[in-house]
Amino acid sequence: MVPSPLKITLLISILSIIIALILIWGTAQIAPSIIHYSTLSNAPYIKVESINVTSNGVYIRLAVINNGTPPSPLVFKPTGGWVEVVETGQVVNVTVINGTVIAKLPLTPQWVGLASVGVKGIVSGTLNGSRAYIAFFDVAPIHIINTIGITNVSYADCVLNVTLSVNTVVPVVIGPIINMSLFTVSTPGYYVFETIGIINTTIYAPAGSHNVTLTIQVSPALGRYTYVYSCNYLSGFSKYTLWLPIGVTYMYPTGNVTSYTLLTKTFVVGGGS
Amino acid sequence: MRIEALLQFALVIAFIVLWVFVPTWSMSGVNYSISLMPWGYVVRFFGEIHVIPPPTVYAVWLFAIDAGLLPLIWRRSRYSLYLATLFSVLSLSMLMDTILFQQRYLQFHGYTIAPTPNGYIYVSLPTKPVLGLPTYVLLALVILSIFNMVTRARWLGTGPEDPIVAVERVLKALHIEYSRIEGGVEVGGIKITRQGSSLRLVRGSEAIEVDLKTAIIETIKAGLKQPVSVGVVDYGED
Repeated sequence: MVPSPLKITLLISILSIIIALILIWGTAQIAPSIIHYSTLSNAPYIKVESINVTSNGVYIRLAVINNGTPPSPLVFKPTGGWVEVVETGQVVNVTVINGTVIAKLPLTPQWVGLASVGVKGIVSGTLNGSRAYIAFFDVAPIHIINTIGITNVSYADCVLNVTLSVNTVVPVVIGPIINMSLFTVSTPGYYVFETIGIINTTIYAPAGSHNVTLTIQVSPALGRYTYVYSCNYLSGFSKYTLWLPIGVTYMYPTGNVTSYTLLTKTFVVGGGS
Repeated sequence: MRIEALLQFALVIAFIVLWVFVPTWSMSGVNYSISLMPWGYVVRFFGEIHVIPPPTVYAVWLFAIDAGLLPLIWRRSRYSLYLATLFSVLSLSMLMDTILFQQRYLQFHGYTIAPTPNGYIYVSLPTKPVLGLPTYVLLALVILSIFNMVTRARWLGTGPEDPIVAVERVLKALHIEYSRIEGGVEVGGIKITRQGSSLRLVRGSEAIEVDLKTAIIETIKAGLKQPVSVGVVDYGED
């Protein structure tokens, strides 16, 4: 006997509903084992590349490490952020110049006595096109950068005037001068003067950016081995080089540090070549 | 075979073929997306691609195929249309359940955090949930199957009626047993076949051309000479 369509329908309906219910239950049962957990691996992060303390301020350079390195092609493009220096409590926003992240802080007296500082902050940007924030904390050594250079030289009537531009974090005492000479830039070269030995001329410059002028009377009175060939520039020569080895004493709170440096300046006098 | 049933089958085919290319449900974002494909959830995370196959996803298209095929295979009873509607509704339920699976087990809050050697990285990954085109085709299938169930797949019943069908209807109404032959019906010793726009009556070796009225009378005459039984019409029975 052929079963009635109603019976077949009821049977198939009940069976298919039971199958559906078993599937729903079974899916819930196996869910934890079919799910895959992923997280970013080898993600880019921020490191403090350098902290330079100069008379104009403190420059903190941040580097993005692991940026786009295989096998994870994650590329972080920084756009902004902030840093805080734990020791000084300074908080500033960073600036991004051609992909380099730099924070510039004002120089405060504390900086001079520090050897390293903790820097924390957040750099915002995009990771493969998605908005991303990298939080970091890093301890980095401080580089104190002091620069002294010659900006101007004049020599007349045996008097040498040297204008020094001094950019230092701490006060400095400049001097003494050891074995200075002025000669022409020509072939062959001619000395204008030459000293052998120490000239005890010193000049003081406070911390910061200043110009100071050293005035030296160049004469044999300076020492036994002082050779003055001319009290003025040599006629027929316009290009000269000043050779100025000099001692610089930096007056750190922790003690004075003296270093010797060679300052040179090649300059042209008059309108000639 | 009714056009309405074929239409239902065509919607099923369209749903499955479309689904191979377009997800029924997705959460799309720049570096994170979930797409519901016939073989499972395809999750993309920063270039990594993982497939998570919840078993219910296979039921979605298996039930959909049943809903399309059943009215073509089982044509005697209208219950086939009822069952097809049940299958299409089950298919939709399985799809909804699979989407709920994502909400329950594959939930995503729009960000990721990873540790770095000296801190952490937070990446914002906003996503937008989207119901795909195949889902709307499946909804259309459910609606059509319900409509077919209610109308017994006869809502396209326009145009001139086939004279053979008219003969069959009369025979069925009178509970006269007949059998279908190629291009017509056979009752008792006579055959009625369609010949272009007219009907041919074949009795033994004799064949004459008849009009519809004569054909009906002749088949009733032949049919009443045989035991009363039930005829065969698509979805005609209870």
